[in-house]
Amino acid sequence: MLVVQILLKTGKFILECVLGGCNYEPIPEFQTVTKNTKAIVEQINIDNEESIAVALAQAEKLADLSGEDKAVLAAALSTLFYHDNHGRPGMIKLAGKAEAIIGKLGMDVVPFLISELVNADSESAAHFGRAVARNGKPAVKAVLQAIDANRKEDYAVINLLTALSYFTDSEAISAMPEILVAAKSANHRVRAEALEASAGLAKRLDATLFDEKLRLKMYDIASSALGDQQPIVRHFAVHSIGEMVKKGLLDGELKGKAAKAFSGILGIDGNNNWDNGFIVRHEAEKYVGLFKQAGSAKNKYHQSFRILEKRELCPDTYYFTIEAPLTAAKIQAGQFIIIRPSEFAERIPLSICGWNRDKGTINIIVMAAGRTSREMTNLSVGSCFADVVGPLGTRSHVKKHEGTCVVIGGGYGTGAVIPTARDLAALGNRVIGIVGARNEKLLLMVPELKEVCAEVMLTTNDGSAGIKGFVIHALEEILKRGEKISHVLAVGPVPMMMAVAAMTKPLGIETYVSLNAVMVDGTGMCGSCRVIVGGETKFACFHGPDFDGHKVDFEQLMKRQKMFVAKEKEALAFSEN
Amino acid sequence: MAISTKERMGIPLVHMPLNNPAQRVTNFEEVPIGYTLEQAQTEAKRCLQCKKPACVEGCPVGIDIPGFIALIEEGKPAEAAKKIRETNFLPAECGRVCPQDKQCQAPCVVGKKGDPVYIGGLERFAADWERSHGTYAPPPIPASTGKKVAVVGSGPAGLTAAYELRVRGHEVIVFEAFHRGGGVLVYGIPRFRLPLELIDEDIKLLENIGVQFAYDVIIGNALSLDDLLGKEGFDAVFIGSGAGLPKMLGIPGENSNGVYSANEYLTRIYLMQSMKFPRYSTPLYNGRKVAVIGAGNTGMDVLRTAKRLGSDVTCYYRRTRAEAPARTEELEHAEQEFLHWKWLHNPVEIIADENNFVKQIKCEVMKLSEPDESGRKKPIGTGEFVHDDADTVVFSLGCDVNPIIPTSDKEVRVNKWGIVMVDLATYQTSKKGVFAGGDAVTGGSTVILAMGQAKSAAQSIDKFLKGELNWNAPNVPTDPKAPGVQWSGRFMTAKR
Ligand SMILES: Cc1cc2nc3c(=O)[nH]c(=O)nc-3n(C[C@H](O)[C@H](O)[C@H](O)COP(=O)(O)OP(=O)(O)OC[C@H]3O[C@@H](n4cnc5c(N)ncnc54)[C@H](O)[C@@H]3O)c2cc1C
Ligand SMILES: Cc1cc2nc3c(=O)[nH]c(=O)nc-3n(C[C@H](O)[C@H](O)[C@H](O)COP(=O)(O)OP(=O)(O)OC[C@H]3O[C@@H](n4cnc5c(N)ncnc54)[C@H](O)[C@@H]3O)c2cc1C
Ligand code: SF4
Ligand code: FES
Repeated sequence: MLVVQILLKTGKFILECVLGGCNYEPIPEFQTVTKNTKAIVEQINIDNEESIAVALAQAEKLADLSGEDKAVLAAALSTLFYHDNHGRPGMIKLAGKAEAIIGKLGMDVVPFLISELVNADSESAAHFGRAVARNGKPAVKAVLQAIDANRKEDYAVINLLTALSYFTDSEAISAMPEILVAAKSANHRVRAEALEASAGLAKRLDATLFDEKLRLKMYDIASSALGDQQPIVRHFAVHSIGEMVKKGLLDGELKGKAAKAFSGILGIDGNNNWDNGFIVRHEAEKYVGLFKQAGSAKNKYHQSFRILEKRELCPDTYYFTIEAPLTAAKIQAGQFIIIRPSEFAERIPLSICGWNRDKGTINIIVMAAGRTSREMTNLSVGSCFADVVGPLGTRSHVKKHEGTCVVIGGGYGTGAVIPTARDLAALGNRVIGIVGARNEKLLLMVPELKEVCAEVMLTTNDGSAGIKGFVIHALEEILKRGEKISHVLAVGPVPMMMAVAAMTKPLGIETYVSLNAVMVDGTGMCGSCRVIVGGETKFACFHGPDFDGHKVDFEQLMKRQKMFVAKEKEALAFSEN
Repeated sequence: MAISTKERMGIPLVHMPLNNPAQRVTNFEEVPIGYTLEQAQTEAKRCLQCKKPACVEGCPVGIDIPGFIALIEEGKPAEAAKKIRETNFLPAECGRVCPQDKQCQAPCVVGKKGDPVYIGGLERFAADWERSHGTYAPPPIPASTGKKVAVVGSGPAGLTAAYELRVRGHEVIVFEAFHRGGGVLVYGIPRFRLPLELIDEDIKLLENIGVQFAYDVIIGNALSLDDLLGKEGFDAVFIGSGAGLPKMLGIPGENSNGVYSANEYLTRIYLMQSMKFPRYSTPLYNGRKVAVIGAGNTGMDVLRTAKRLGSDVTCYYRRTRAEAPARTEELEHAEQEFLHWKWLHNPVEIIADENNFVKQIKCEVMKLSEPDESGRKKPIGTGEFVHDDADTVVFSLGCDVNPIIPTSDKEVRVNKWGIVMVDLATYQTSKKGVFAGGDAVTGGSTVILAMGQAKSAAQSIDKFLKGELNWNAPNVPTDPKAPGVQWSGRFMTAKR
């Protein structure tokens, strides 16, 4: 370890030589630094976004680096953390990229990063902290050791706390005791930073990691900090409590107390005792919406919308089980729900892939597409969605057919067709399922679909599983073997549904597709979800979502789906900041 | 000291101060500032305290108008508010949004020679005073009758029905499809006319007297009327689900990107708060040049909202200003706000670019016919067309009734326009135990009418729960072309 650290210090020294154009002969053992690395180091030094971007792109591609290469690279890239990037969004992004690259260099460079971190200014410290935090468990230990070693140096402790707040690895929970001690420091900056770290971990770690005792302790410390002399400490105390509420770490009584405290801070409890720190009120305002439902009179129709289960199906795609008894009691195959994950979020429509009427739960699949779906996939078991409304739309068209019924799913659509397939089979139909994806890894819900279909066919674009090609190739296969198809349901990306409809139309096979138009209310009140079917305007949420695929104007649907694209990017960028 | 009628008649109207137009179009703050106590007292002096007050007859709920005005004059605004609350549960809202110019202020005798008493302004003043001074005393709630009523919808109709039923000792649960209460007051009427706090506060008052709210529940989908009256154990249901099915014109290009119904536009902005985008993540695509079609209250709201979002805004209406259905005050306020007006322009097509985004609106120039038998002048085409640039178009043409409840329960009879049919005297529907009021039975009217109907309905629900209402012969129209309920000066009658 020590050796690497020396190496790194020397790495920085060489770097200074390269940057400063000094004439020292490089120390012999460092002649192994590759040309590639040197080129990157030189390019990083040019204070120009384009050349830095090029250098970073190259650095990203480097593999199998030697210790020296890593040292030099970490030292060079981290110079970006010291740039004054204020008002240069491009540079901020690049620094973020550098964090990721350095983060990937592994534990070898972590001691170096920590040595820089402890002396860095607050903005640079955030960059170093995020780079360190990318190394998970061992890095948590390293940071805790550093805190131990620097106990007397408040400045170092503050920066190390910053780093702690960025961990997403479950090991970070072991830092909580240290953080809570720091929250009572005599130095108000340390107190503030500790509360911020507690907020960060509440936000980033899985809710199940926080046991009852820890939750209570975190809340106690933060709530006593609401009475701190320093506005900055109160600000972070609010932040800390707010994140706990958001994560669902506080229930019942504590949440009620938090609600009361926040309305006091904002002066909306009628006691005229609001916090006179603007930053404190501003922070409280961000979270006060979380208490809305808790404050209103509870009754048996109040649903928690708690997440009971969350499972990754493939990258960025999760399966959820949610408590929503009223919806669960009534939902039928083909219907959908609308979720608003938080007070600030959009309402987004989602299909249902299953339910349990007795337990009052529903199952959904969410693909992180943009800000709102990402916000959902970031939530963990135990937290609650703000709103779940349903069931919406009309049920799928199910009856007994003469020939085979085929259900086709792409992406979340595979889940969506399962209930319909089950209903079709229950009526005595022969049901074949087709699942399509780009590659094997992205195929999802196949075992579940197999349970309700007589046969399931897979297609992948790269041939890594099943038939190489698209879902229509599987459909052709069925026809080729002489099977008569009477009914097709396709749910998934528009191009897929369009291809299926185009193929079945000349064959006269009844085909339904589920239209994913942009929606707001989902009850026919706004008209946002207008689609054209058979030349007539229909509301996808109310008349659909299933429509006769041969009559749908897909072109128009695709164009309308792009109505808010620019705004959606802006929303996502905002949430990532 | 008594003041003579002549002296009273001599006092000029006290104009309610407004925020300066150039400034106010940059924010969503309320436009009228409100009276001071002194201003209100002066305005109250203009009331002649008529023995047979014409204003009260013009008020759909019959507020004791001279009564509350006298209290303001005496410097007792809190008592004035109490007096109004006897008949109107939402005075702060009504004072701001009621079409007083067509109701109470229209027949006011002072108005025969000059300006009528500004009853709306005084009502608002009393309600605001009550709120800011915390003088509201909740009504006594009698012991529970053990009867349970489900109220569907938390708009003005639902809130009023809930209040009236609760003060009679019944248990009330309000079911609301959205995540917050208020109905159109929240997702239609803009913040610069009606601040959110007022509605939230009135909802809180209801909660304080024990009315319960269940949000995110769509009656008809999550629970049917039969569920409510059956396994959920309710003894009666009041439907106040409003009119929420936007009308479009059916012209080419209507589904282009950037074309909205007023409902969508206003819901995105006010319910989902996209005016605070990107903190609130619901997006709104709002162009530089916004064309608003229609000149009713909704049209005015959309025009003024678009202006506040920084757009160049034009109103297109196929008749003239004189026929514009908007509340006069709203039209006047809108006219101060740097908008463009294209009267006698009838949109016939919306032209989009290759990506389906609106770029132009095509209108036919109209002229008015001679008055027909009913005295109405019809717009007729001149054959002359104009093309105007626009990148956002908002249809503000009013609404039809939302079909969720009637489609889910065939026993609730509707006419061919989807309006729920009720007995005009009792607000019974064709389904036993189910009553209805508000926009659901009118097809779109006003806050106060919705409230008036809800109040009458609540009275008959009370009778029904006591076993005093006969369900054998409610007079519910069966003709599919039968009109909905309408207000005609003194009585609720049928319209269309
Ligand atoms: C009936 C129906 C069922 C659906 N079922 C599922 C499902 O089971 N799982 C799943 O992951 N996704 C489903 N979707 C799609 C899902 O609603 C969008 O992915 C989601 O709204 C994206 O929101 P965002 O903020 O994360 O992304 P954004 O960046 O806001 O948007 C990405 C794209 O998603 C679409 N979109 C955005 N907002 C909406 C909206 N309010 N309504 C509809 N589409 C929108 C647009 O095409 C947009 O370009 C369904 C859509 C519909 C209409
Ligand atoms: C933009 C705009 C401006 C207006 N301006 C004025 C004005 O200045 N003055 C005036 O007097 N009037 C005005 N109006 C009209 C007025 O707002 C309405 O007449 C009034 O709100 C009707 O009240 P309501 O309670 O019947 O229905 P709504 O206010 O429409 O409330 C109905 C509620 O029921 C809910 N709901 C619907 N279906 C269900 C269901 N199945 N289950 C559960 N909940 C359901 C809805 O979500 C909604 O919250 C305006 C209307 C609009 C749209
Ligand atoms: S009609 Fe006019 S003057 Fe007469 S009581 Fe009513 S408000 Fe006063
Ligand atoms: S989403 Fe509003 S009408 Fe369909």
